[in-house]
Amino acid sequence: MEVVDIVATVLMAIGLFFAFIGTLGILRLPDVFGRLQASTCIASMGTIFVVLSGIVYVVAHGMSGSVVVKLVFILLFVLGTNPVSNHALCKGAYRSAKPNPEPIIDDYKEDDPQ
Amino acid sequence: MKGFKFTAWLSTAILCFLFWLLLTWSFAPRELILGGIVSVVVAAFASRFLIHSSPFYLYNPVRIVLLLFYCLIIFFWEVIKANVSMAKLVLSPKLSYQPGILRIPADPKLKSRYGLAMVSNCITLTPGTITLETAQDEEGQNYYYVHWIDVAETDRDKAGDAIKGTMERWIGRIWK
Repeated sequence: MEVVDIVATVLMAIGLFFAFIGTLGILRLPDVFGRLQASTCIASMGTIFVVLSGIVYVVAHGMSGSVVVKLVFILLFVLGTNPVSNHALCKGAYRSAKPNPEPIIDDYKEDDPQ
Repeated sequence: MKGFKFTAWLSTAILCFLFWLLLTWSFAPRELILGGIVSVVVAAFASRFLIHSSPFYLYNPVRIVLLLFYCLIIFFWEVIKANVSMAKLVLSPKLSYQPGILRIPADPKLKSRYGLAMVSNCITLTPGTITLETAQDEEGQNYYYVHWIDVAETDRDKAGDAIKGTMERWIGRIWK
């Protein structure tokens, strides 16, 4: 096993660890907001490190540069669309779901910027 | 067509064509001609949704270098820090945290809609914080409403510094 293979494996392991953290958070946290927060771990750290591992592997094994570009585009699209859906889900949940535990401070209800 | 601007159309067409080149990864004349036709047609329809002001703003090398530096170093570091604290929260056996929704003020120098959208998306992408809304008061000061899973600081200005970190300062250098 070469050094680059080990580097790619370590990066993949870090990404999968944080995807595991996100999944565990979805299962353990009690309400919608906490689960949304935990699921961001999967989209940010999980995707970034899995794609980095793929880039290291592709570059080390001398494949075409277009594969790297496509991997970077996968990363960009996941990082570009995830916050939009997360924001919409969180705002929808704010109107209908019951928070647990209760927020200790809620400026949104006081100001009501709708 | 309503709201059609030639400069916006040109800028969008260049962006689409660069995207086409990167995806096809070939310089064969057939590909170039087809890509050019497709990007010109797509840009004619899409430019008024993509460009709202100063079409060639981001085609400045300094801004592209700043954007790359921000994405690769600053944002990456913020994501790692936030992920580690989220991992601590999830793996702690007692699972005690105090959520809250805070109104944090935006940097008054950051006026651009693109810049505000980018800051709020970056806040959402760091685990532990989600932007619910951006709003503007009568004096033109922008605010983000941020859901924070573990409120460590109830003072709005200090909480803003803790949530945004160095991200907003760097985005303020890219978008005015």
